[in-house]
Amino acid sequence: MAQALIDLLREAHPDAVLSTPGHRGDEVAVVRRERLVEVCRFLKEDPRADLKLLAQIAAVDLLTYATEATGGAALASNEVPAYDLEHKQPVEPRYHVAYNLGSVTKKHRLRLRVELRSDDMKVPTVTGIWRTADWWERYVYDMFGVEFVGHPNLTRIMMYPEFQGFPLRKDYPVRKRQPLVPELDFPDLVRGPGPGPGGAGVPMSQTHVGRANVDPDAYD
Amino acid sequence: MTEEAAHEHDPLALESELPSSPMTVNLGPSHPAMHGTVRLVLKLEGETIVETVPEIGFLHRGFSKSSENSTWTQVLPYTDRLNYVSPYLNNVAYVMGVEKLIGLQIPERAEYIRVLTGELSRITDHLTCIGAIGLELGAFTVFLYAIEARELLWDRIAELSGARVTVSWMRVGGCANDLPPGWGEKLLECLPRVMELTSEIDVLLTRNRIFVDRTRDIGVIGADEALDWGFTGPCLRACGVNYDVRKAHPYSVYPRMDFEVPLGSRGDTYDRYVLRLEEIRQSHKIMLQCLEQMPPGPIIVDDWRYALPPKKDVFSSIEGVMAHFKLIMEGIQVPPGEIYAYCEGANGELGFHIVSNGKGKPYTIQVRAPGFPILSALPRLIKGHAVADIIPIFDSINMIGGEVEQ
Repeated sequence: MAQALIDLLREAHPDAVLSTPGHRGDEVAVVRRERLVEVCRFLKEDPRADLKLLAQIAAVDLLTYATEATGGAALASNEVPAYDLEHKQPVEPRYHVAYNLGSVTKKHRLRLRVELRSDDMKVPTVTGIWRTADWWERYVYDMFGVEFVGHPNLTRIMMYPEFQGFPLRKDYPVRKRQPLVPELDFPDLVRGPGPGPGGAGVPMSQTHVGRANVDPDAYD
Repeated sequence: MTEEAAHEHDPLALESELPSSPMTVNLGPSHPAMHGTVRLVLKLEGETIVETVPEIGFLHRGFSKSSENSTWTQVLPYTDRLNYVSPYLNNVAYVMGVEKLIGLQIPERAEYIRVLTGELSRITDHLTCIGAIGLELGAFTVFLYAIEARELLWDRIAELSGARVTVSWMRVGGCANDLPPGWGEKLLECLPRVMELTSEIDVLLTRNRIFVDRTRDIGVIGADEALDWGFTGPCLRACGVNYDVRKAHPYSVYPRMDFEVPLGSRGDTYDRYVLRLEEIRQSHKIMLQCLEQMPPGPIIVDDWRYALPPKKDVFSSIEGVMAHFKLIMEGIQVPPGEIYAYCEGANGELGFHIVSNGKGKPYTIQVRAPGFPILSALPRLIKGHAVADIIPIFDSINMIGGEVEQ
């Protein structure tokens, strides 16, 4: 049933669909970025597709995706880029934005995917088609730094405005800390000090945040 | 002559309209009626809401980032904390996603247990929502009844998993352990009391003049618009759209269950309340069918690549020790791929967008929380209403801070 949907899309927009890498029953259409809005509008308004529900917009950063199991970044695109596990060459296109669509009448599903190079992370907004895209695009912007061109209010949604960087990118360290107020130098007995503001591996007590702002006798 | 003096001489001045300018008021983040911590910046024209800017993220704990750095099994406790009033449903949605990625068929008994506990969670979720609406509209009795019923069910959940709220009880390939002996009978004993309390709530609220006046035609949204905003679950069905993932995309053993999907017609707060009440009855029906049809048998797959071997084998055979060690230390080796798995959560479609690169840890997990799109439509729902109407509207969408803010 969903295959019929892909055929329909290919028929209506033959040059917009790059590939259809479906997996485990999920139908996926990789769409040219320039044609995204057009394709979305067609899928929402055509009665044969009727994809009126935008369930989610998610993104994937493929920086560390390649393993022996995946054999290079097979998820990234049709042509597998040369990828050297040793030297960690950059993967391009590095990002995916995935639009999980559904129809409440036809009961079928489709995922659209747009591929992005890390030097040009711009996607046209679909807020004009689905209102719910507003917050989902803000979420993807907040977490990955994808710029949705034409979004009415593209600001951070989960993180605070002063936050630096994009937390779900694979090169954002998991234990990096960005406190708005200086942290107390409180030892983590289980895991030891984290990579504090002074840089990775520097114990919190040796950073400018650690000692300078805290009474040294407070926790000794 | 000064202005005040003019008023003294003009008897009509008291009757004239007061000069007013828009006022900005903060509701939350820490407010008893803001379940979880969400902040609403309201722009008021007198008592009327002109504009609202919701601000979320106070409860953001980095669900996705934490999940990427834990094994597939270690993600389970994080999913409990997404929606802590229906943790089983979150567990089920997540493990269903992982099983879809693996292509794993789980034993029939485990499917029944999942549906049973899932519906149990749906009832507790709806009871919490209804109890809160009652409480915040002054019907404290309703809240006590709802909590009594919920406690009865949470006791059963505690007997099953050892925890009331954060259960972490599902496993990839099945469930952690079988139902304890006599548990089904205990559940059957307490269910009539739960349904009796639900009926009491029904009698107290559904035709209550005050309650109806406070909720009827408040927070109305049409079917097309609701869909445009990404509504699912009870909030969408209150508008009359027949979309329930259990019926539209049947999963697990739902096709064998005989139940109905209640629909509303007006899409207002009252419909959303009545719908939840009716869904409790339908869930009750499904639970009874589950208990009746549940076959004996294994509760988890007998495949040591995905499920922990039985303790007997771990202690007596080298293969068992190896499998146990590999699963704990490296995690389940999930084949590479990208899927979106979804099921009917208590508040709507609960989905997980999961990518695996064949390692023991998820490459990416992003959750489609049903409350997230619904909360984004809150400014639309409360626009033009009085400040006092925020509370019933906000209660009826049942936003759960844990899942919305991840």
